[in-house]
This record gives sequence, structure tokens and C-alpha cells, in this order.
Amino acid sequence: MLTGNDFPANGLAEGDNVAEPTPRVLIILACVLDRLVARNDRIADGITHQIEESSSCGTSHIGNSFNAFHGVRAPAISILKYLERIYKYTNCSPSCLVVGFVYIDRLIHRHPNSLVISLNVHRLLVTSIMVASKILDDVHYNNAFYARVGGVNKVELNKLELELLFLLDFGVTVSSRAFETYCLHLEKEMLLNGNGELQRIERPLMATNSLDDVSEISVDDTLASSSPP
Amino acid sequence: MAVTAPGQLNVNEPPSWGSRSVDCFEKLEQIGEGTYGQVYMARELKTGEIVALKKIRMDNEREGFPITAIREIKILKKLHHENVIKLKEIVTSPGPEKDEQGKPDGNKYKGGIYMVFEYMDHDLTGLADRPGMRFSVPQIKCYMRQLLTGLHYCHVNQVLHRDIKGSNLLIDNEGNLKLADFGLARSFSNDHNANLTNRVITLWYRPPELLLGSTKYGPAVDMWSVGCIFAELLHGKPIFPGKDEPEQLNKIFELCGAPDEVNWPGVSKIPWYNNFKPTRPMKRRIREVFRHFDRHALELLEKMITLDPSQRISAKDALDAEYFWTDPLPCDPKSLPKYESSHEFQTKKKRQQQRQHEENAKRQKLQHPQHARLPPIQQSGQAHAHMRPVPNQPIHGSQPPVTAGPSHHFGKPRGHPGPGRYPGGNPPSGYNHSSRGGQGGYGNNQYAQGRGAAPYGSGNMSGAGPRGGAGGGSSYGMGAPNYPQNGPYPGSSGTGRGSNVMGGNRNQQYGWQQ
Repeated sequence: MLTGNDFPANGLAEGDNVAEPTPRVLIILACVLDRLVARNDRIADGITHQIEESSSCGTSHIGNSFNAFHGVRAPAISILKYLERIYKYTNCSPSCLVVGFVYIDRLIHRHPNSLVISLNVHRLLVTSIMVASKILDDVHYNNAFYARVGGVNKVELNKLELELLFLLDFGVTVSSRAFETYCLHLEKEMLLNGNGELQRIERPLMATNSLDDVSEISVDDTLASSSPP
Repeated sequence: MAVTAPGQLNVNEPPSWGSRSVDCFEKLEQIGEGTYGQVYMARELKTGEIVALKKIRMDNEREGFPITAIREIKILKKLHHENVIKLKEIVTSPGPEKDEQGKPDGNKYKGGIYMVFEYMDHDLTGLADRPGMRFSVPQIKCYMRQLLTGLHYCHVNQVLHRDIKGSNLLIDNEGNLKLADFGLARSFSNDHNANLTNRVITLWYRPPELLLGSTKYGPAVDMWSVGCIFAELLHGKPIFPGKDEPEQLNKIFELCGAPDEVNWPGVSKIPWYNNFKPTRPMKRRIREVFRHFDRHALELLEKMITLDPSQRISAKDALDAEYFWTDPLPCDPKSLPKYESSHEFQTKKKRQQQRQHEENAKRQKLQHPQHARLPPIQQSGQAHAHMRPVPNQPIHGSQPPVTAGPSHHFGKPRGHPGPGRYPGGNPPSGYNHSSRGGQGGYGNNQYAQGRGAAPYGSGNMSGAGPRGGAGGGSSYGMGAPNYPQNGPYPGSSGTGRGSNVMGGNRNQQYGWQQ
């Protein structure tokens, strides 16, 4: 079960907060997703009411593509805290968060009837960031570790990984151009919603004129992946 | 940007992969065994079309979906070329899991996941190893041109194949050649700033810069492999059959000369150069050793097996070489003879069965008292068996232990130009070719030597973490793109090659379970 309460129990205590500055991408992403989820939750509620009135049942009528990602109830942990947690323990590169967001966005495009809501957003995030890291970072933790960090059962996370890959139709390549577009979009979102001056998302080091996968350049594939502590 | 506008329609989507079941196909025969599972020839029930099904091994619970599979799928999705194998779709097989109503739970984590490829009748190694097989010059030119065309396409699309070898070059009965097995492939950028692993490419086809520990490299690595294959086609046998990395480098230096700052500016800066620089002067002997080759062939080969990767010929320039434009010209693929299906996996199996047969016959003879004092039967090549920590095991375990295993390519009636021509000093009976690990391009196990850990000394692997168990003979190391980048091959001499380890596993894998 993915609930906020699970986190202290899985042996990854929140530790001493030797304050490394939170990457801006975490804040921006959390902000954008919070708004999306809040809006979609209202829509989902509306749909559920309509269905209840017509004496049908269940939340599964909100489009079922993301069913595998649905929890019974929304985790207590906020999106921001959840992202911070993933970022802190898995040590994934900030680009993984952007690419994870790209995957979620692609899901929404491919499955326009399915909604990202508070019941599924956490699982969608941990899964997509894990896949992004697997592809982007040559030093990355395995699924079992992501499961612990994300508060999801290991077997379940493996299922979700496959579910995500198939929902994406294995479209996991993100060109550097697309990556940049998403960064600009996220930055603009922050500006438009009156969150102060322009905040730049951390970019990876990459050749500016390159058309490569962002997922393939400027990362080493020379090192062994790390094992969980 | 649909996160804020999720209602937009995404048009022109092809039917999504994974939507069909493997039950749409009828498995006919196993044709290969790879890092991430078996490969089958199969027939699509609806259309009757013959395809190859590559099963993706999903048994590593900690790792989830193998990264090699993600990479291969991702890369093949973007490559569409007549000389690159076509990934048609991905299918799933219904697993045991059901929902409350007893229906399949709609979850893709099922019995198994298969990549569906177009079916190819042969791989180049399997074809070349057929008894009595001799390629004609127009045929060799035809294959080489297709290989270079496919590779040029990959390089233009900024994909390094990183495992070019005969068993990954698939050939159909129309004479078409296609690059396969992109499990080690990756995109590259032209800035050469990224650090890439040097633990790629099957040993015999691995270029000197990787053997010397370079982590910044480009398409030239594939061109070295192409050169090795080219020479092998002309020569009739592999030209650099090293048994470990030091020997591999030595074989290269003996033929290509020793690298120095003159013929390879910057070579002394490569990490392990000082460990491996030859102690005696060696000069380039390609023209001498291969003097029987056609002039244009020799010229092209020289440019391919150039030590300095920056001077090595590119696929594009190789296609413009005189060799392809002088008589006899490359033939039309369609004019090539059709052969009965041959994959290295199958030809090996056949040879193994045959040897086993002969073996049994000999053993029966041995039981006669007058032969009781004869020394134990030595199969040619068996002298090298001690190099393998885990010898190749017979499929059913019934083979007598003296048999060295199925990976040898010795003793085939191939019409070698004669022993001693090649300076490597291969015994005429054929060398220990066992490090040829690949099992046909649909399913590689080629990377055993990097993944399997053994050859570099297991001490090195301590950082490998959860991936590919270190040092053990049984490590598949599947799904591990990440290799420790430690010192150059400590203890590599005599430790045997991981690929043998893999070879051994391969034959034991029939019973692996989901």
C-alpha cells in the first residue's frame, strides 16, 4: 500500500537534513502536478457523482488506462515531499524528473480519457522516474530499491514498470529538443501562475547543437549501478 | 504539453504494442538463446507469416524489465532500414494471474513478453560454418556492402551497434543481410564527451582502443569489427581469435603492428596503454600475411583494421571503396543461392550431436580389452578446456566430460588456406574458438565477457551491486549495461572467458522458468 504512513517503517528514516538546496525542478514539477491533480480530482468527483446518480458504481469509470496505478486511497504525503524523497534517496539526476514528467504527459496524450488524480499520481511518478533513471542514468538503483523508496511493493512496482512501458508503447526516447521544450513549458507554467520571477530548471550538460537523445548523452555508462545501502 | 490540457486527442497512433497475445503465434522451433531469453521460429496463425519470437527474460525481480531490452526496443523503434532487422511488435503471453472474476487481470506482467521480429533464415556465422561452404567473391562483396549500408544507416542515426559479429548478421534466403541484436547498442553524440563503457563487443571483434581501456569512442569501433568480419570471410577463419584481452591485443599487434605516437597519435594517453604496450618492436604485416587477397580487398581491409580509430575508414567511405566498384561486382542479393536454414545455435547443436555420436562410438570401442590402455580420448580443441571455469555442458548432461563443448568451430571442412599463414600461430587443428559466444542475432549472449564478470577477476566486480552476480560461473549479468571500470584485466590470463560461462549456461537454460 502506498500511504504516507508506510514511509517511516521501511528503514529509510528521513535522516539529518544536511540542507542541499532542493532542485527547482522538484518545486516546479510539484506545483504543476498539484494543480493538475486538484483539477482532475474535481472532474473525477463530478463523474463519480453522475455515475452514482445513475446507480452505477466505482471510480474506474474515469477511463481505466491508469487503473494499475490506482491506490485505494490517496497517500498522505504531498507530491513535493514525495518527489523530494525520491530525489534524495535514489540520487537520480534532475533530468530524470523532467523526463518522468514527459512520460506522464505522453501517457495523458495517449490515453486522453484517463486522468492523473490523487489516487494514482504517486505511483505514476515513482514508476516514470524510475524508468527515466534506468534509461538516463547509467548509475542507477534497481527496481527493488525504488520500491522501498516509493513505498510500493517490489512486485507491484515491476508490474507498474511494464504497465508504463506498454502504455507508452515503449516510446521512452526523449530528444534533447523535446527535453528543452518541456523545460521551457514547466518554467512558463511557474511564471504564469504568479510564482515570482523566472526559475530555470537545471539542464544537463549537453552539446547544444545535438539532436541526440537527452537520455543518451552526457551520461556515463561506465559505472556499475549502485546497490541499496 | 497536455498535463494542463489532458483532453487533447493524439491522432495517428498505430495499434499499441503489447496488445496482442503470443497465442497469435505457433512456436515451431528454438533457433537461438540470448542474454534475455530464448528465440523461436514461429508462425502467425492468422496470416501464416513466419516470424522470430525473442522472449524477454523477466525473472530478475530486483531489476524489473531488463535495461538491455528497453534499449533494444527503443533503438529498433527508431531504425527503419532494409539492412536493419525489423521489430514488428511486442506481444505478451497470458500469465497465471487473474482478477477476482477469474479473467486475466489486464496487467502486462504476465507469463512473458516477446519481441516479434521478421524471420531470417541464417546468420552469417551459421552460414559460413556449413560444411563445404565457400562464399564467392561477388557474394562476399554483396554481404559486405549490405553490412556497410546498414551500419552507415545506424551511424547516421547516431546509433553505435557495439556488437558486430557474424552471428548478429542475419541473412534470409533472398540474400538480404540485416544487422540484428541491438541489446548493446546505444546512441552517441558527436562531441565524444560522454564516457562509454569499453566492455562491449565480442572479444575477437573488439578494437584496440577498447582493449586499451578507452571510454570515449565512436562509430570506428563498429568498423573494426566489420574489418574483422571482412578478413574472416576472405580468410576462411577468424583472424584475431584471442582467448583473453592481453592475448587479443597481442594478436592484433602481431598483425597490425605495435601502436605508437607516430601511427596513433595520443595512444599513450589511453588508460591501459602502459600495461599493454608491446615490449618488442612489431611491424604491420597485413600486406604480407594476406598477400593472397585481391588488391582492392587488401586495400579496404587495411583501412578498416587501422589501429588509430580516427584514421579508420568510415562506413560511408568504405562503401565508396574501389573494391565494390571493380569486377567482379557485388552480386544481386536475389541471385545468391538459397540454403537450408542455418543459425549458429542450430549448427552448433548439430555438430555437438554428431560429436556425441562419434564419442559414444569410440567409447564403445574402448570397452574392448585390447584398447584398455589407450590414453583417454582427446577431442581436438579439448586441450583448452582447462581455461574454462564452467565448460559447456551438454544439453541433457549425458555427454562424457571429455567433450570440450559445442562452441568450437574447428574441424569443419572449410578449406583453410593452410596452417601457418596467419602469424597468430594457430594450430592447424583450429584454435579454441570458444569465445565466440553469440547465439544468432536474435538473441545475443555475446556480452558475457563483460557482464559475466569472471574474466576480469572477480575482485573487480565488487562494485557491481545488484547486477550480474560477480565471479560466479552462473552469472548471466543480464540487463547490466553498467560495468565497473576498473583496472586492466588483472588476473585475466588463464581465467577463461565469460562467454564460455555463458555458453555453458545457454545449454542448460532449456528448463528455466518464469
